[in-house]
Amino acid sequence: MHNLLSYALAKRRDSAPNWHDHAPAEEAHVASSEASISLDTASENCAKEPIHIPGSIQPQGFMLVFDVTSLQVLQASENVREWLGVAPDTLLSHDLHSLVLEASAVSERLQALPDDGSQPFHVGDVHMRLEPPNERSLAMVAHRYDQVLIAEFEATDNTRSAYDTLYPLMHTFIGQLQEAESIEALLQLAVQEVKRVTGFGRIKAYRFDADDNGLVLAEIADPGYPSYLGLCFPASDIPPQARALYCANRIRVIEDADYQPSPLHPPLNPRTGKPLDMTFAALRSVSPVHLQYMRNMQTQASLSISLVVRGRLWGMISGHHASAHGVGVHTRTACELLGRVLSLQIEAKEAQAQTQHLLSLRQHIVQLLSSMADRDSISEGLLALPEAFVGFAQAEGAAIISAARCDLVGRTPPQALVNALVHWLSQGSAAGNTVFHTDNVSRDIDVLPELGQYAAGVLAVAISQLHSHYLIWFKPEQTRTVTWAGKPEKSVSASGALNPRHSFERWQQTYRGYSTPWDPLELTSAAELRTAVLGIVLRKAEEVAQLAGELKKSNKELEAFSYSVSHDLRAPLRHIAGYAELLGDFEGNKLSERGLRFLEHIGESARFAGTLVDNLLNFSQMGRAALRFSEVNLQAMIEAIQVEMQPDYAERNIDWRIQPMPVVIADAAFIHLALRNLLSNALKYSRPRDPAIIEVGTYSQGDEQVLYVRDNGVGFDMEYANKLFGVFQRLHRMEEFEGTGIGLASVRRIIERHDGRVWAEGKLDEGAIFYIALPNRPIPPLTT
Amino acid sequence: MLKPILLIEDNPHDLELTLVALERSQLANEVIVLRDGAEALDYLFRRGAYAERDDGNPAVLLLDLKLPKVDGLEVLKAVRESAELRSVPIVMLTSSREEPDLQRAYELGVNAYVVKPVEFKEFVSAISDLGVFWAVLNEPPPGSLRLQRRPTSSRDAHDTPD
Repeated sequence: MHNLLSYALAKRRDSAPNWHDHAPAEEAHVASSEASISLDTASENCAKEPIHIPGSIQPQGFMLVFDVTSLQVLQASENVREWLGVAPDTLLSHDLHSLVLEASAVSERLQALPDDGSQPFHVGDVHMRLEPPNERSLAMVAHRYDQVLIAEFEATDNTRSAYDTLYPLMHTFIGQLQEAESIEALLQLAVQEVKRVTGFGRIKAYRFDADDNGLVLAEIADPGYPSYLGLCFPASDIPPQARALYCANRIRVIEDADYQPSPLHPPLNPRTGKPLDMTFAALRSVSPVHLQYMRNMQTQASLSISLVVRGRLWGMISGHHASAHGVGVHTRTACELLGRVLSLQIEAKEAQAQTQHLLSLRQHIVQLLSSMADRDSISEGLLALPEAFVGFAQAEGAAIISAARCDLVGRTPPQALVNALVHWLSQGSAAGNTVFHTDNVSRDIDVLPELGQYAAGVLAVAISQLHSHYLIWFKPEQTRTVTWAGKPEKSVSASGALNPRHSFERWQQTYRGYSTPWDPLELTSAAELRTAVLGIVLRKAEEVAQLAGELKKSNKELEAFSYSVSHDLRAPLRHIAGYAELLGDFEGNKLSERGLRFLEHIGESARFAGTLVDNLLNFSQMGRAALRFSEVNLQAMIEAIQVEMQPDYAERNIDWRIQPMPVVIADAAFIHLALRNLLSNALKYSRPRDPAIIEVGTYSQGDEQVLYVRDNGVGFDMEYANKLFGVFQRLHRMEEFEGTGIGLASVRRIIERHDGRVWAEGKLDEGAIFYIALPNRPIPPLTT
Repeated sequence: MLKPILLIEDNPHDLELTLVALERSQLANEVIVLRDGAEALDYLFRRGAYAERDDGNPAVLLLDLKLPKVDGLEVLKAVRESAELRSVPIVMLTSSREEPDLQRAYELGVNAYVVKPVEFKEFVSAISDLGVFWAVLNEPPPGSLRLQRRPTSSRDAHDTPD
């Protein structure tokens, strides 16, 4: 007992020299590692200080600790000497009834206290029997905790105050809260209300960031008080155990930073054998470090209302006053209630914002997915909606990396750097993560220092389990300036105890290399998008497999069809031609000239139909036969075709203009057929010209080699250009130009089988140009 | 006695036209007509209705590819697998120029593969050429009689209008 008392006193003595010690601020900047080690140690010590069992109370009231059932006094605060004029020890023989005039009413109300309620409860205003009757009434606040009944007695504030403060608060404040648009607006309303009911000189509200630094978002102050609005209070200002206490006990008042603590007698709680746990006690004495902090901040009285959202200390409303300033029981209750209502409102606002955000993320995902499902590839689907894709993660640039391509959208690093990033993602320290994110690439991807020039934030999602396929979003650097409310450093006194900081002057710090953080919802949604994309990839693979199957089947059907066309259709045509011939042979002399002409037409038509069938069959074989790629000398090929077709134009005046031709990689037999068709067409449709000019040339264009055949023949109307390459499509009457209409269809089929393109330009009576474009291919390996 | 030409054809029109073509080719050989693959095998292996036929193999088989019951390729296969018949020349006649058939026929050892032309004059000349080549020009296996061409002066009665 003596030991513990001396602990509390020793602590006071230990810190005492510092309380009034306005040490120069430089003391905080001793830049030696030794100093920083001892600062860490001191901060740790500070974090270990058992502030919930200070052993003493603030003297604006006195404390009696009762046995829960017998209501006998177990402990009393030293300052009963001042309040009641008796030594604390003398009270230990008393119980509630012998001390409090209204004891029976009080004990009735105590009965009504919920068993698990540790929150202090105003049981009533009472009179002490030790004092002259009607001398004064005291507000008695009680709560059960630590196996005892803790009763705190304070001077009553005006009885009317409950009606003055509580009801208007409930009515107007809660009504206004619902209308507030933003969290800042909520906080502004709250600080105004708290200032109105407490009369503190300055009330500010701040919110803790992810690192527990507190940013002041709302403030109202009387003239003469420095403003802290927009400033940041470092996390180290509030040690962890204090944060835990703020979460449990939502209101804290320190009436006078220069108070003399009043210890409990006896120091130990007889029910536990330990110092009384004052977690919920309003009068709980304060850490000397905190008192020093207050004095350094030039505040004599303070008020703290906790804002707890989803179990975490979200922020605080804190009040300061230049001189000692009390807050009565009812006002305190009102403030605490305000804090709780405000916390709920904030939670609701945040939940609403989150839901909105989630909804918009989901909408993006749905848009992107449907776009991807509609198109042939993931890349195309995403690229079709660049804004939704990039905006999905609030990014400014994005990349899609798949097997064949790397597509960049918006503000991104250059391609080579993105490729290096992909390599790092698949091989580097983050490999194996399905979702990788950073808000500072210079810090987290130090092997790619150039990356920081283009982006600060990276979110990458692996969309293949086998390959290095990624969706990557980029965010630019957002230089952030934090204005600290003074240097966020504490100092250590010569004795090794912690000195709170002295300087509350503005002090700016600039953070570079950071992007805005990735919202957890964005990360979750990115993972969802990934799952969905994998699903689509899988489905696409299945579709391709199914298509391949169907294609195989339809190829088989086509084969069977061609067979029956060639066999079954050819046979009757042959019979018609044969019997027509025989009829002429056997009965020709009996037929009139007209009859013989008809017979001739029958034969001709049957033969023509036979040619059609043969051409169709050739055409279908063209689609099925395997291509054999080799080097094709176009020059030699065109010369050979010219020779072949010599009989067709021997009598005509042809001006051939053949430019030098390259060697291409193609199927020689098929290309021969295609060129033969083109040249044959050029000859055919230039028949009316003298001279006919036929020009063949080539040029290189992108990845393609283009060959064209130009003639000065009858040309065609561009209106029908789309019909030119169709099967059995003809633009001329049979009497003008013979043919089955399959030549250009064959050309197209051949060129398309080479992954090339065909097109034509023409003008009626002015000639035509036919183009074929073949993609450049590597020289095929020699096959033995 | 000249060895016969075996014509295996199911379609009556084709049959008639082929016979006309053979007539015009002025071959002296007898033409034995069989209407499906099963009948052809019966004849060749002297089974069933043909169990009692005279000895000897035909000069050439003009075999249609598509036949009822047993198709042309199967007949070809059976002939090539038989020691006695193996040396008989076989010409496959068909409407189809489908590649798998062609390839299969050559794998099975066909001597010629002819796609019947639509044009009747070409058809006649094709059949005629085949008959002349296989029945006249081609040196038959040892022991077979060499065929004689009929004198060109006497034209077939059918051919000559009254």
